[in-house]
Order: sequence, then structure tokens, then C-alpha cells
Amino acid sequence: MTTRRDVLALAALGVVAGAVRPAKAAAPSGQVTYGVHITLAPTWLDPAETAGIITPFMVMYALHDAVAKPMPQGNPSPSLAESWSAGEDGLSYEFVLRKDAKFHNGDPVTADDVKFSFERYRGAAHGLLKERVASVETPDPQRVVFKLKNPWPDFITFYTVASGAGWIVPRKYVEKVGDDGFKKAPIGAGPYKFVSFTPGIELVLEAFEGYWRKTPSVKRIVLRVIPDESTRLAALKNGEVDIAYSIRAELAEELRRTPGLTLRPTVGSAPYFMYFPEQWDPKSPWYDQRARLAAKYALDYNTINKALTLGYSHITGSVIPENFEFYEKLAPPVYDPDKAKQLLADAGHAGGFDAGFYTCDAAYANLGEAVVNYLGEIGIRAKLRPLERAAFFKGYADKKFKNIIQAASGAFGNAATRLEEFAVKGGNYAYGSYPEIDELFPLQAVELDHAKRAAILAKMQHLLDDRTMYVPIWQLAFISGVGPRVDNSGFGLIKNYVYTAPYEDITLKGV
Amino acid sequence: MKQFITRRLGYSLLSLLVLSLTIFFFVRVTGDPAALLVEPGASEDDIAAIHQKFGLDKPLWVQYGLFMASLLRGDFGQSFYYQTPVFELYLDRLPNSLLLALVAMAFSLLVGIPSGILAAVRVGRFWDSAGKLFALLGLSLPSFFVGLVLILVFSVYLGWLPSSGSGTPLHVIMPAFALGWYFAAAHMRLTRSSMLEVLGSEYVKLARLKGLPQSWVIGKHAFKNALIPVMTLAGINLVLMINVAVVVETVFAWPGVGRLLYEGISFRDFPVVQGVVIMGGTMIVVVNLLVDLVYAVIDPRIRLEK
Repeated sequence: MTTRRDVLALAALGVVAGAVRPAKAAAPSGQVTYGVHITLAPTWLDPAETAGIITPFMVMYALHDAVAKPMPQGNPSPSLAESWSAGEDGLSYEFVLRKDAKFHNGDPVTADDVKFSFERYRGAAHGLLKERVASVETPDPQRVVFKLKNPWPDFITFYTVASGAGWIVPRKYVEKVGDDGFKKAPIGAGPYKFVSFTPGIELVLEAFEGYWRKTPSVKRIVLRVIPDESTRLAALKNGEVDIAYSIRAELAEELRRTPGLTLRPTVGSAPYFMYFPEQWDPKSPWYDQRARLAAKYALDYNTINKALTLGYSHITGSVIPENFEFYEKLAPPVYDPDKAKQLLADAGHAGGFDAGFYTCDAAYANLGEAVVNYLGEIGIRAKLRPLERAAFFKGYADKKFKNIIQAASGAFGNAATRLEEFAVKGGNYAYGSYPEIDELFPLQAVELDHAKRAAILAKMQHLLDDRTMYVPIWQLAFISGVGPRVDNSGFGLIKNYVYTAPYEDITLKGV
Repeated sequence: MKQFITRRLGYSLLSLLVLSLTIFFFVRVTGDPAALLVEPGASEDDIAAIHQKFGLDKPLWVQYGLFMASLLRGDFGQSFYYQTPVFELYLDRLPNSLLLALVAMAFSLLVGIPSGILAAVRVGRFWDSAGKLFALLGLSLPSFFVGLVLILVFSVYLGWLPSSGSGTPLHVIMPAFALGWYFAAAHMRLTRSSMLEVLGSEYVKLARLKGLPQSWVIGKHAFKNALIPVMTLAGINLVLMINVAVVVETVFAWPGVGRLLYEGISFRDFPVVQGVVIMGGTMIVVVNLLVDLVYAVIDPRIRLEK
């Protein structure tokens, strides 16, 4: 079957990746200091508590390693496992671990550690994984076999990409020090070992020369929290940090203009979109698809992109991230205010209409402001309502919002997992659904033939577009800055990963 | 005197009890911390597990009872976000905050007191107007703005000082200036008004009539008495500088207690917010109590008041 062929091809890639391991590199030297935009949490030091967001991976890529994970070679790419294969019946997956992988304390990475890490995992998607995995067997120290209760085509996606379940901790050490002790002095199998952590302030790591893939070039990595964006940029200009995460809008322009500094935009996995939760209510103006189409044609996407993210965000026609498996490329939206006004008039709103609230996460109110202005230009009069992040997501998930919602999702997965959440009946963020889309969803969930499954998911994405269920806006660019000492920053090496990784590939100039 | 001390101690304990109640219930108005500890769209079970883990599933009065019981044992609880004892976090940050507060206080007193004296002595003239302008700017310019201007000038343009962090004497200069700036203006205003009051008093007039030199009258007679309210205010301000320098510590990424409070509020980390506020409140209550006791020792009329 195609699925297994793909899996075997990836496995072969892993063997090749392992085979091209370079000769022993020079001893690591120098230091790279990061200006980090968010508060470092101790939970990020322990893969067992990985939330379904990208930020913990900023630490995990340094300190820990996974059976397989997104890497420059592919997503996922073999890491601690040199290969894997699926059983003919789709009910088992066998991973073969590499022999030269070690933890920072010198213990080898074994199948027992993989089993322990999986069973201990309590982060994102743990319920789903534990519900569908019948058992984990370790026939020998180098082999791990996951037995599933039923065929599950997305097992590899969830185990290696959409969760932290495949990131490995040393069983003996964790059992010795306990969960709290592990967070205070974590030991992993990644390219950098733990030196010190001041909660909320700074994490210091040092190169692990026994890392299987390669010896890191940089001796010391310091992740320093600088909450204020202007201060982060000042620290980068002043040479206090070498890499500053998240510099936006006018400050990004300032960064671009500063000699010696390099702007590094990376497009993540979070498409932003407008959603009309009342599109199933005949009394709502959004019930008429022409009104939703008018909103789609009303936005000058390129101008907004240039103003807010210097043109680096990707204008997209889909709510599925372009790097996701089963992503179907749809035509990006175009700006046509005349057509938008005509559509509104055809829908019986020649003079426009009061659209109520435009509710969004306050962190992205700048995008909301621009969209509301453009909607106003064609007569759709909306009031911006930015909400604090947690309140926004709670209200969104509890289906409390009306009128227009601006949202995004950075959750991992593939097109199927995203559609399940946002477009299919019963989804966490689906305020309604269309029967033709709902009918297709269970068909793809049991389809083991990759091509046939892809075709069903592509059809679902086209239907989403045909119904104008969403108005996708852009796949947001995350803009960071790199100082003059850094040679290879690691930005963009892993597709759609917004931070620097793999850390062992980062180099300093003249070192 | 014994009765006075008992009464004051009683008031202090009552103040702390009211503070603990207020902060306990206020912090819970901000919303559910579980929403910030799970990914968007997490299941009800995941959220319930977090509620259970942190005891948020219990009735509010039970939570408050447990909080007070822990507090009486000197236990401020465990941070939701950092999963570390709050007191440990507080003690980690306290030395940085003390350093920043002491330098900022020294700056604010060195600037505020002499300018306040000068303004009072030269009342209605140039130095008084200059002092008023300084007070106006000091009290009205927000510290984040002052901080960013300082960073722009001294870090970005001149490259003299580090923009953020801690670790060397150079790191403390800008945050201490940004923090002390506001308090210097406050101290200047109070010194000026206190000096004007004292300079108009009978005993100062008498000193002048006796033909004492101006510097002697101001330094020996007026300043000493005018200083009492300033030092009382400075004591309270020092506690505020230690515990609630939220904006300055955030702008300069200074690893102090104020930033811990900011992080606690951002993550709805109830134990952290409660711990920092209770610690700050306790310090203020203790300073006030000590001041009251010192006043009572100096002035017997105070301790005889009912």
C-alpha cells in the first residue's frame, strides 16, 4: 500500500541520514545568546508535558531527542530510530533504534526508555494515543513495537509530529529523581545538556559531544527571556543577544534597515482566517454566501501583508497549513472591492449592513484592525473586539461568539485533524457544518490507501472553499533577527518551524 | 505603651487578613488558569484534571481556608506555571529587586530631597519653577516610556549600557533611573511642602530672629523636622519599589519580584500573585507598625490616643 511505501521510503531516508554522519567535528566553542519573547516554563524541560503548541519545542530540540521528528530531511525524519515499518494489517508499527544514541549521563537509549516515555506521556493528544494503542512491546533493546487496537493511518503523524509522545527520557534516571527532580535537572538525549535554569529568566545549555548526529559547533546556548519587543531589538543591536525572536511590524522594518543584522522571517503552521458562526442562521446576513464572498473580496491582502509582516506572510486560500499532509492548494484570495460591493448588492445589502462584533485574540488585533477597515470600505460595518488570548479561545471553543471571528490554529496534525476540529459536525471550533463535508470525513478516517484518502481530503477542502465556510487571510510569518556573529542561525532549516533548529547545525562566524 | 502595641498589632493583623481575602478573591475574577495551561480546544477531562491537581475544583471558601492554613505555616503554595514553591521563586528574585530598589531609592532621595529644599527656600522663583516642572515630568511620564528612551539613547545610540538583564553594576543604572525618576519627583514634592510648612513655623522664625545663619536655620532646624514625613514615605516607597516595579522590570528584563508578579498575572498563576501581594503587604504593614512605634516613643501624645 502507498502508506507503507511512503513509510519505508522515509525509513530508507533515515538510514541514509544516519549513513552520512560526518567525521568527528572540532570541539564546540563560543556562545549563542537568544532573546526569547515568551516566559520559559519548567514543563518545557520534560517532554511528558508537551502542550499542543510549538513553543516547548524551542527547548526540546536542544535538550531532548525523539524517535522521529521534523528535521531538514523531512517531516517526520528518523532520529533515535534509524528506521520504522508498518505491519501489513496496519495494526503495528516497529521502530529500530540506532545503537550509538546516548543520554547525557552516558546511558544508551533503549527500547525500554521509548516504552517508558510513551507510557509516561501526558501532554497533547495523550488521550487519543492511549485510547488507540493497545500495547507497546520491546522484543529487544533496539526494537519497539506499537500494537494498535484498530488500523489508524495517522499514528505516525500523532506519535512523531503532533505530540511529544515520541520524545525520549531516560527511564532509570526519571525513576531515581522523580518528576519534579527531572524538571530541576533534566537529562535528555539531545545535542545540548542542561546547565542551569532560572524559572522565567534564563536557560543555559552546553554542547553534548556524544550526540549521535553530530557534535554541536557552538559550546553554549543561553535562552534569555526579554519580554519587551523593543528591548529585544535593542539587545540585538547592542550585541547582547545573537538571535532575537518575534520582532514585528515597524520594529521589523527597523531591524531590516540596521546594518549587520539579518531579518529572518519564517512562515509557521498557523493560517489566519475569518469565520462567520451565523452562516447557518437564515436570519443572519452571513447566511447568504454572497455576503461571505463579498468579505473575501474586500480585503487588500498584499497591502495588509506588507504593512504588518513586511510581505513575508503567505496569502493562502486554505485554512489548512501548507506544510500539512493532505494539504490541497487552493487559489489564494484576490482583492476586488467592486466585485465585493456588487456581491453585497446582489445579496440585498446595497447600502451595506451592520455586522456586529469582529472578535479576535488581542495579540493579533493589528490584523483585525486592518480587516475591519477594509470591510468598512465596502459597507460591512463591524466593531473590533479584541479579547485576551485565554478568554478568546475559551469563548471560541464554547461557541459563545457571534458575527465575525478572526482566529488561527497552530496545533499540530494533518489536514484531517484540522478539518475535524474546524469544519466537521461536533468539532471543537465548528459552530455548524455542511452535510456533504460531514459525510466525507468518516470515509477518510478508515481509508488506508494514501492516495484515496488524499483524494477524499482534497474534496473536503474544495467543498470548504466552495461554500465560503471560511475566508482564509494568511499563513503568518514569524519574524526574528540575527546578529552579526552568527553564521548559520538554523532558521528555516526545518520547514514551517519558526524557531532555530536543529541546534547542532548552528554555527558562529570564524569558529 | 503595652496597650498601644497590642492595639497596633491587632490592626496590622486585621489589615493582612483583609488583604489576603481581597487578593484571594480578586485574582480569581481574572478567569480560569486551566485555560492557559492547556492547548486551545483541550478536552473537558484535561481541564478537570488541572482543576483537581491545583485544588481549583473545591468550593472557594475551602480553597481560601487551605490557602490561609498554608500561609500560617509559612507556605505560599506551589506556582501553577513554574511548578515550584512560590516562596522559593520569591526568594530567588528578591536580591535583584532589593538591589534595584536600593539604587533607585538612593537616586530618588539624592535628587528629590535637595531639589525639594531648593524649591522651598527659593519659593516662587526660578528654582521653585524648575522643581515644579521636574515634579510634573516625573509624575506624568510613564516609566515604560522613560525606560525605552534610556535604552534608545544609552544602549542603541551610545552603546554605553546594556539594554536588559542583570549581572554587572552597569545593568542596574538604567532600570534604577527609570524606577527612581517617578519617586524622585514624589520625594521632591513632599520635601518642598514639608519644608515650606516648617520654614513658616514659630521656632524657625525664632531661630532667624536670634540671627542664626540661613544655612544653619535650614540645615539644623528646618530640614531635620521636614525630613520625618519624607523618610516615612520613602520607607513605604522602598517596599513598593521592591514588590511592584512591574513595568520597569519588564522593560529592562530585570529578574525581580515585579516581573514575577507580571508573569503571575499573565499566566493567572494565583499562588504567585497571592504570594507576592501578601509579601509586599506584610512589608508595608511592618514598616507602618515600626513607624507608629517610633512615633509613639518620640511623642507620648500618640500612644495615649484612643
